[in-house]
Amino acid sequence: MKKMAAANVRHLCSTNPVCFLLPHYHRTKMKRISEDYQSRLPDNTALKQQQLPAYRLQLSATGVLSGFFAAGAFCLGMGIILILSAKSIKEIEVKYTKICANCAELREDATNFDKECTCSIPFYLSETMKGNVYMYYKLYGFYQNLYQYILSRSNSQLLGTDLKDVGNCAPFSNSHDGTPIAPCGAIANSIFNDTIILSYNLNSSIPIEVPMLKSKITWWTDKYVKFQNPSSINLSSAFAGTTKPPYWSKPVYELDEEDPGNNGFLNDDFIVWMRTAAFPTFKKLYRRLNRIQYFIEGLPAGNYSFNITYNFPVTRFKGEKSVVLSTLTWSGGSSLFLGLAYTVTGAVTWLAAFSMMAIHLMLKKKKMLFIQD
Amino acid sequence: MFCSKKKSLEVERTVKANDREYNEKFQYADNRIHTSKYNVLTFLPINLFEQFQRVANAYFLFLLILQLIPEISSLTWFTTIVPLVLVITMTAVKDATDDYFRHKSDNQVNNRLSEVLINSKLQNEKWMNVKVGDIVKLENNQFVAADLLLLSSSEPHSLCYIETAELDGETNLKVRHALSVTSELGADINRLAKFDGPDTKLIQNSGKTKLKRTSIDRLLNTLVLWIFGFLVCLGIILAIGNSIWENQVGDQFRTFLFWKEGRKNPVFSGFLTFWSYIIILNTVVPISLYVSMEVIRLGHSYFINWDRRMYYSGKSTPAEARTTTLNEELGQIEYIFSDKTGTLTQNIMTFKKCSINGKIYGEVHDDMGQKTHMTKKNEPVDFSVNPQADRTFQFFDHRLMESIKLGDSKVYEFLRLLALCHTVMSEENSAGQLIYQVQSPDEGALVTAARNFGFIFKSRTPETITVEELGTLVTYQLLAFLDFNNIRKRMSVIVRNPEGQIKLYCKGADTILFEKLHPSNEDLLNLTTDHLSEFAGEGLRTLAIAYRDLDDKYFKEWHKMLEDANALMDERDERIAGLYEEIERDLMLLGATAVEDKLQEGVIETITNLSLAHIKIWVLTGDKQETAINIGYACNMLTDDMKDVFIISGNTAVEVREELRKAKENLFGQNRSSSNGHVVFEKQQLELDSVVEETITGDYALIINGHSLAHALESDVKNDLIELACMCKTVVCCRVTPLQKAQVVELVKNYRHAVTLAIGDGANDVSMIKSAHIGVGISGQEGLQAVLASDYSFAQFRYLQRLLLVHGRWSYFRMCKFLRYFFYKNFAFTLVHFWFGFFCGFSAQTVYDQWFIALFNIVYTSLPVLAMGIFDQDVSDQSSMDYPQLYEPGQLNLLFNKHKFFICMAHGIYTSLVLFFIPYGAFYNVAGEDGQLIADYQSFAVTMATSLVIVVSVQIALDTSYWTVINHVFIWGSIATYFSVLFTMHSNGIFGIFPSQFPFVGNARHSLTQKCIWLVILLTTVASVMPVVVFRFLKVDLFPTLSDQIRQRQKSQKKARPLRSQRPQTRRSSSRRSGYAFAHQEGYGELITSGRNMRAKNPPPASGLEKTPYNSTSWIENLCKKTTDTVSSFSQDKTVKL
Repeated sequence: MKKMAAANVRHLCSTNPVCFLLPHYHRTKMKRISEDYQSRLPDNTALKQQQLPAYRLQLSATGVLSGFFAAGAFCLGMGIILILSAKSIKEIEVKYTKICANCAELREDATNFDKECTCSIPFYLSETMKGNVYMYYKLYGFYQNLYQYILSRSNSQLLGTDLKDVGNCAPFSNSHDGTPIAPCGAIANSIFNDTIILSYNLNSSIPIEVPMLKSKITWWTDKYVKFQNPSSINLSSAFAGTTKPPYWSKPVYELDEEDPGNNGFLNDDFIVWMRTAAFPTFKKLYRRLNRIQYFIEGLPAGNYSFNITYNFPVTRFKGEKSVVLSTLTWSGGSSLFLGLAYTVTGAVTWLAAFSMMAIHLMLKKKKMLFIQD
Repeated sequence: MFCSKKKSLEVERTVKANDREYNEKFQYADNRIHTSKYNVLTFLPINLFEQFQRVANAYFLFLLILQLIPEISSLTWFTTIVPLVLVITMTAVKDATDDYFRHKSDNQVNNRLSEVLINSKLQNEKWMNVKVGDIVKLENNQFVAADLLLLSSSEPHSLCYIETAELDGETNLKVRHALSVTSELGADINRLAKFDGPDTKLIQNSGKTKLKRTSIDRLLNTLVLWIFGFLVCLGIILAIGNSIWENQVGDQFRTFLFWKEGRKNPVFSGFLTFWSYIIILNTVVPISLYVSMEVIRLGHSYFINWDRRMYYSGKSTPAEARTTTLNEELGQIEYIFSDKTGTLTQNIMTFKKCSINGKIYGEVHDDMGQKTHMTKKNEPVDFSVNPQADRTFQFFDHRLMESIKLGDSKVYEFLRLLALCHTVMSEENSAGQLIYQVQSPDEGALVTAARNFGFIFKSRTPETITVEELGTLVTYQLLAFLDFNNIRKRMSVIVRNPEGQIKLYCKGADTILFEKLHPSNEDLLNLTTDHLSEFAGEGLRTLAIAYRDLDDKYFKEWHKMLEDANALMDERDERIAGLYEEIERDLMLLGATAVEDKLQEGVIETITNLSLAHIKIWVLTGDKQETAINIGYACNMLTDDMKDVFIISGNTAVEVREELRKAKENLFGQNRSSSNGHVVFEKQQLELDSVVEETITGDYALIINGHSLAHALESDVKNDLIELACMCKTVVCCRVTPLQKAQVVELVKNYRHAVTLAIGDGANDVSMIKSAHIGVGISGQEGLQAVLASDYSFAQFRYLQRLLLVHGRWSYFRMCKFLRYFFYKNFAFTLVHFWFGFFCGFSAQTVYDQWFIALFNIVYTSLPVLAMGIFDQDVSDQSSMDYPQLYEPGQLNLLFNKHKFFICMAHGIYTSLVLFFIPYGAFYNVAGEDGQLIADYQSFAVTMATSLVIVVSVQIALDTSYWTVINHVFIWGSIATYFSVLFTMHSNGIFGIFPSQFPFVGNARHSLTQKCIWLVILLTTVASVMPVVVFRFLKVDLFPTLSDQIRQRQKSQKKARPLRSQRPQTRRSSSRRSGYAFAHQEGYGELITSGRNMRAKNPPPASGLEKTPYNSTSWIENLCKKTTDTVSSFSQDKTVKL
């Protein structure tokens, strides 16, 4: 029949005086098909035929349950370790906003910026803080994570390459007369500028200043990569043509009068401040205990006091300031939260594992009964 | 000479032939075919305009503009523009290549040459320049690229044979004739261009091309709107929060932090914050969602193209996914609308069996005389002794040949009848081979069978038929031709053999013929009836064969009466019919033939499997009712187990309504019929349906023909029709026009909200292919129209099974999995910003680094989910085919719907909570291992980002059920990429070059060396993944799905062969039912007896026994009347007067 259908065409041909046997179109089409015959057959590869060798993932009862028991055990163990180590940390926090209420009041009025205000807070350390002791300042309710705030800095200026680059620093990019501010931006402008000195009353008479280090309180990369002073003979000339941020009392090259190397953009306190905190309550490293003399073992128990030069206003935004002394463990200054979270997760995992096992076994039993019936 | 000006209402066209100037006045369309959309100049503007018309793109453009406003910009511009440009470019390139190929194919068609009469000379003209009114000369085998009016041709009586394969896939030739006025004019085929280009009947009939979207796309659009609403809510919450914060805290803070700025209005600040948060939170629906979906669909399309099991070697045609945007819809099909000819059947008829004088031939018997099934071992009958045999013909029963050798006179008579009683024309080709020109393939099969068994029909003149009977030429005088029509269902010839005997040979429907038999045939009748039932049971088309000896005197009397009747002006047809009845009686039964309308390979299995997958298959065909029913039985769509088969064939609206009502009464029983009279409570009724649907037992089938369908599609009966049709297991619509096919599809689409698929091979299926959700074209055939309009094409109907059950199911499964994961991922990713808002004074500070936001969706997490979306398999392809029930979740839309969306959303929200609050708690009062600050914003961002990447990677690892090498590479690779990009971006070198773009220098090194950070990441991962595992485990344990069960079973019996589901046996028990089906048209008898279709070398003699009975044009009118309403029913909906 197929042949007959094809023959129809030829029938007409024989009756028509002007007739081409097969039109060109047909012939070319045929030729193309025969030439392409090989290439038109799809390749027999595993990929193209969707036959790639593969592992079929399936949640088997034994796998899931043993995984859960293992994970639960790990979490519980880790939780207990973390809780224990968090407990081993010695920490003292002294909130001084209210204690230094008069200073706080003074600072609420910006015009009093040149009036110095100090405040001394005595406290008793009942237990020796062994090992390295770190001193932090902690701010409550200070939003270092506001979008406009985080943005308001110039990394290229801080790199010392282009002091005039104050692009993103608005509204603290230029002073009234148009000179660029160095360091520019809201972050730099709002630097924490209290000075905190810890003194130890050895014999309850003469307080000794506890030796503190201000080095190595920054990230290595911040100190050596991210922040650079502009190159020049001395810093003051390097910063010529710029002006200090409006809230600052001293220009950036005079931040540390004792250590000339700790000035300019490379000032450690400045670098620490510039690393903005994630949450409105944060603590930042201020000093490290220099373990010499009485303090080789750490901070011995006894009477201490913080002598604070109160400059940083917090009451305006209903914030609070505190100073923290803390030791560390293997995982750093971890809080109790992580340990508790691990313990809870571990417990829940085990609970889930037991209930899954119970359900699974029950179903299996039922199935067996069903089959027996 | 007038012409309606309004194009849409064009009723008449006035054309002066060969007068271009005159015709130009009307500004008819030219004949250029335009399927391309752009040219070089218009590409950019039009394409961009089109692209930004898409809601998603416009949305992202809007976001981009928002980001450029510094007051509200919370993300840098590159986070949106990079993906947007990427997407726009990719789409533009794709559109450009598509259009390039369209240009190419247009040019090919437009530049085909035709000969046109211009300035009284025949000139070669490209088809695109042919104008309305031009006179075109066509030669044999030329393509016709316009609607033409035949003026005259070189054939006798200006006949012209045309092949309409490109239109309807039928390869047999159709006859067209010129108007008698013009037929004397020319020698060659001359035609007048009537309608050009976009005005052609075909283009007007083929329906509009609509952009097809999948139901997932539509769901996604809704979801995106919801999500946008959700974002607005979040934005409002955060904006209010910002206003309050500004009012209570920020106000004092501002004076401290912001020196120069005056007091800001908290409400205005809140307003700005709202927009800032809209920008930040937009990553819930990132642009990469749309890109990834396209990529996944493209991948699935390639898998279809590459599938060797859908490659048809016979025509060397691979399957082709012509649309790459519909794949997952293939997994949701509920209704299949199939064409018959060329799709279910091969349009090849083969003579399979016959019953001669009570003896069946054609069955294969083994040595013991038992019937056996056909096997390869069976030798076909060797016809090589007969030089005129058609070599393609095969017959496996040697006993028939033996009977011929033994000289069984009944067998001779049987074969003689087959060689005499037909309308076939013969021709010898140059090689001396006999070629038959058949009008219906059934007849061709019978005549070819006779030819191979030695009764070779050689040639005919209007009053003779020459047959070579076993080597001797015998010429019969053709005395009368009693033509076929649909009422008579039979045809007869009356011949005088060389011995002078007059014989009437008749073939026709058994039901009709058996009433006309001589009473002496009773025994034979019973035997033959049994045989016929057997044939019918096998789905074969049967004809009964009988003869009658006439005596001279009787015949002469009868013939006289026939001539008288022909001369009558009125009641002529009735009289003639009466005379035919008169002579066709007292017939002697010879036997019966069984012709197989050859189904495409594997049609029965495919249909069975698809029905097991709860897919309903409707056959829409232009064929006659009998043929359609016959095929319905042949491919198991209609079975004898069916409770009832409703046949709707009324000709008026009232009849149709009545028939529908009766059928419904029958279906629903009496209890419902009382309330069923009206369609007042449509909604209630539809609700009722779903209840009733459950209660109906047994299978029903509905058969409806085109005329009835036209009435049933009227609005007030529509509901009854759809209600009835959807209760039935099988629906067959016969004699439907292309437009009706589309209407039926639309009906189901609109009333059942089901996903539909239409499959066909000819141009008459184009409208249905276009209107169904998915259109499938059978490729490798002559006609290309269906394939060009289709979304998928392959060479064989049986590949539909693999397309749907394997590719479709996988596509749906993968796409849903992809979407579920994607929404989860982005909710987890984005909502963290919301929580963070409460801790950063609602200042629209992002949690992550800007670079991370830009890269997260397109680099860090795109590939693993793409790999899952492209490669994942829950069960193997073999299982998908073995258990068609696995297809059901797609139809019920179970894997991704609003409910599932809320689950992923909840999952995402949970993860974002874990992701945010565990680090938040851990970072409170924390210090690094050397006492330094680690609770800074940047470390927090890195911790969160790392946790997020790890959590979503673990999640994708859990979601991926088919771990190929690619999945491994992508998942591990993504994590590795994340870390390497992280360390690179935080490196000194890149900071040295771009200090302001990469401010995170040293962060990765510092944070990721802290044990505490890793502990946070680990805890976050455990806490966010654990509940998911619990839920999944319990779900599989307590409520396993079919695919879970199969997976489990396969796991437990990995070595054992997979269980095969029991397929129902394809053979049915036969019952008495007529297998009569005959694709024959009325009117060819007249053509033969008048000699009009024969060459001039056989001129009809002036006098003869059989003169042309009618006046010269009446037979042509008859012929046309019949051919137009069966073959080119295109014109039914648009009547054009010339």
